[in-house]
Amino acid sequence: MLTIVVRAIIIYLLVLFLYRVMGKRQLGEMQPFELVLTLIIADLATIPMAEVSVPVLHGIVPVLTLVVLHFILTYLSSVSNKFASFLSGKPVIVINPDGIDAKALKNLNISVDDVFEAIRGCGYFSVEQIQYAIMETNGKMSVLPKSNFAPVTVQDMKLKVEKSVIPINVVNEGKILKDNLEIAKIDEAKVMELLNKAKVKKVKDVLLMTIDKQGSVYLQQYGQKYQTLQTEVLGKVKE
Amino acid sequence: MTKVGIFKLVSFLAIIAVLIVICVVEDRLVADSLMQVKDYCYRIEMASEEQGGIASGEVASLVDNLETSWKKNEGKLCFMVNHKSIEQLGVEIVRLKTYIDEEEEIEFFTSLEIIKSYVESFQHFMGASFHNIL
Repeated sequence: MLTIVVRAIIIYLLVLFLYRVMGKRQLGEMQPFELVLTLIIADLATIPMAEVSVPVLHGIVPVLTLVVLHFILTYLSSVSNKFASFLSGKPVIVINPDGIDAKALKNLNISVDDVFEAIRGCGYFSVEQIQYAIMETNGKMSVLPKSNFAPVTVQDMKLKVEKSVIPINVVNEGKILKDNLEIAKIDEAKVMELLNKAKVKKVKDVLLMTIDKQGSVYLQQYGQKYQTLQTEVLGKVKE
Repeated sequence: MTKVGIFKLVSFLAIIAVLIVICVVEDRLVADSLMQVKDYCYRIEMASEEQGGIASGEVASLVDNLETSWKKNEGKLCFMVNHKSIEQLGVEIVRLKTYIDEEEEIEFFTSLEIIKSYVESFQHFMGASFHNIL
C-alpha cells in the first residue's frame, strides 16, 4: 500500500508540474489536440498507480513524451497559421444575415438544436436577433447581435464615466494580504485605521475587505451585512 | 524572452534530456543484464559437457554466479521493466540449483533452455524495432 501512496504522490506532482508548464486552460476552452492530450495523460498516469508490477517510469515516460509533443505542436501552431488551422480547425460562421447556414452545420456535425442551445447560452433566444454566430475552434459559440438587439453601451448613450477600477483584496478571511497592500499602496496601520472607523475590533472578524483606486472600501464581517466606507485616495493604486 | 518563456524552454529541454537519459539507460541496462544471463547459460552448458554432467562443483559455482548476477540486475531492471515479465526468469534460475542438488539433468537443461528462450524473446521485445513499435 505504501508503494501505491508514494507512486500516487509522485505522479500527482509530476502531472501538476507538467500542466503548469503547459499553461492554464479551462476544460471548455481547450483546442482538440489539448483535449486529446488531457484525456491520454489522465489515463496513462493511473496505470502505474493501479498496477504495482508496472514500473512508475512506464507512466512517466509516455506522459513526458506527450508533453514534448504538445510543446512542439504549440510552437508550430504559433509560427504557422496553416498548421494551426490544420491542428485546431477554423472558426465557422453558422448564422449569417441570411439565417442558419445548413451546410456549415453539416460540416460541423451539429444540429439546429445545438445551435439554439449555444445561442441561448449567449443570452439570445431567437435567430432573428443575431447578425452572426461563429463556432470557435474550442467548440464555443460567439454571437454578434443585430444592432437593434445589442445591449446599449455607455458609448451609445454618450455618457462620461469614470475609468473602471479593480478593487484589491486587502483582507481575506481574517488575514491581511501583504502583497496586495503593496499593490494598493497602503500599510497595515491604514487597514487597522479603516477597521476602527468601521468599528471592527479584530482583523480575524473580517471576511472580506477590498479597496479601490478611488478610495472606496468594501468591508464585510463574518455573519454580518457588508458596509462601504470612503477614504481619501491613498496614492495611486497600481492597476 | 519573458520569465514564463524561459521557464517553458528550460522545462522543455529538461524533459527531452530526461527522456534521452531514460531511453539510453534502459537500453544499456536491459542489454547488459540479458547478455550476462545468456553468457552464463552458455558457460554452464559448456561446463556440464566438459564435466560429463551437472553434478560438478564448476557447474554449481556457475549457477550460483548466475543467480548472484541476476539478483543484482533484477533490482535495477525493476525500475524499467514490468516486474511480472522478469519474474519467471528469476524462478527458472532458482530451479537450476534444485535440479543440481537432485541431479535431475533433463529438467536442468529444460530450465536452461527456458532461460535462454526468455532472454532471446526479451531482446526482441525490449529493442526499438519496427515490429515492436507497431
